[in-house]
Amino acid sequence: MLMRALLLAGLALVSGCALTSSRGTLPQVAGPVANVPFFPQREYQCGPAALATLLVNRGVATTPDSLVPRIYVPGRKGSFQAEIIAEIRRQGLVPWQIDGTVEALAAELHADRPVLVLQNLLVPSWPRWHYAIVYGMRDQRVLLRSGRDPEQRTWAARFLRTWGYADHWAVVALRPGEMPARPDAKRWLETYAAFEAIGQPAQAAVGYQTGVRQWPQDSLLWFALGNSQYLAERKELAEASWRRGLRIDPGFAPGWNNLAQRLAERGCGKAARAALTQAQRFADARLGAALAGTQRQVAASPAGGVTCEE
Amino acid sequence: MNTTSPWKRHGVYALCVLSLSATWQPSARADIIDTQTVIELTSRAAELARVDRALSADSVKSRLLLLGVERDSVDARLASLTDRELASFADRLDTAPAGGDGLALVGAVFVVLLILELVGVIDVFKNVGSSRR
Repeated sequence: MLMRALLLAGLALVSGCALTSSRGTLPQVAGPVANVPFFPQREYQCGPAALATLLVNRGVATTPDSLVPRIYVPGRKGSFQAEIIAEIRRQGLVPWQIDGTVEALAAELHADRPVLVLQNLLVPSWPRWHYAIVYGMRDQRVLLRSGRDPEQRTWAARFLRTWGYADHWAVVALRPGEMPARPDAKRWLETYAAFEAIGQPAQAAVGYQTGVRQWPQDSLLWFALGNSQYLAERKELAEASWRRGLRIDPGFAPGWNNLAQRLAERGCGKAARAALTQAQRFADARLGAALAGTQRQVAASPAGGVTCEE
Repeated sequence: MNTTSPWKRHGVYALCVLSLSATWQPSARADIIDTQTVIELTSRAAELARVDRALSADSVKSRLLLLGVERDSVDARLASLTDRELASFADRLDTAPAGGDGLALVGAVFVVLLILELVGVIDVFKNVGSSRR
């Protein structure tokens, strides 16, 4: 048994592919990305070092030392993914999680963006978590700024194993409105809606504006854009955005609800009632309370005149 | 991932409905339905119930303080997480990866662990290929 195990282990190490959780080959040459600085890490502080590398490449003036009080957790001798995401936002950039495939990784490198990855350098039941920056691929090797090594050339198989043990977690930092290498409308919406949720509506608005240009047929993005315009007191624009979204998806109850709300506010009761009827027709039970609120508003609104015509 | 019991699912769903209703108290000026709410309604709604931000923030904060994070900085650190992210952080903080070190003699340690695993002493490769997402 022991002999067989040792033999297997040896084989696995030699072939270098038996243990990979995805294909052990890299698709292409990618990078090296230009202007990727190097900050040798201090003990346990690969998080601040890797994040500083990413941020400086994207034009933020920072250092690992200034990131330590923001993302380092002494009791865990490391940094959490959630706090890295939060810190990218705090620096005015947009954290974009890419798909966990070498192709997605290579696509970002082609777009000249370094990628921050989480690796588990040991094994799942005995993890050693580590952040590094991928800045290129060449000759079946992944080029990393890692720890104290400015140019770590890791075999594809080893990289894919260590990255796979960390759930293929990888993130890039985009400038507001900048498209990732592989744009995805749903992820785009969620990524920017997060800025509204943390009280940075202007950042979200930039994303929605870019989003509807990239995906003019995405009704949810129009809805989100309308909401952000409404909350910024640009209600005429909001109305137009909601209508645009509803032309694409006439069965979208929240859009009808918000439009009804707006119409009632500007004294167009008749049009508001028509919109509310549509909202009620398509809404599910979870929207009941919201619709009831709109209904009160609509009921109090006068019928309205010609200015209410679309 | 799909093993959630129907009871739990319905419970979360009910909670979701309750908390959504709580968001819209009757008032003279009703609010529009916001984007975050629609995202939660459209993507796996059962899992993504509204969360009590204050509750998860308190939970994360107290544990980060215990882990040596400075009191002065902890609020700012959490301010850039959405409610949903904070809730999931609160749920997973004790087991979440904390990336720290790539120095040490990792290669040699790996070989030892690999052999232990193959001999059956420890159960090392059980999670390979599975995805948490």
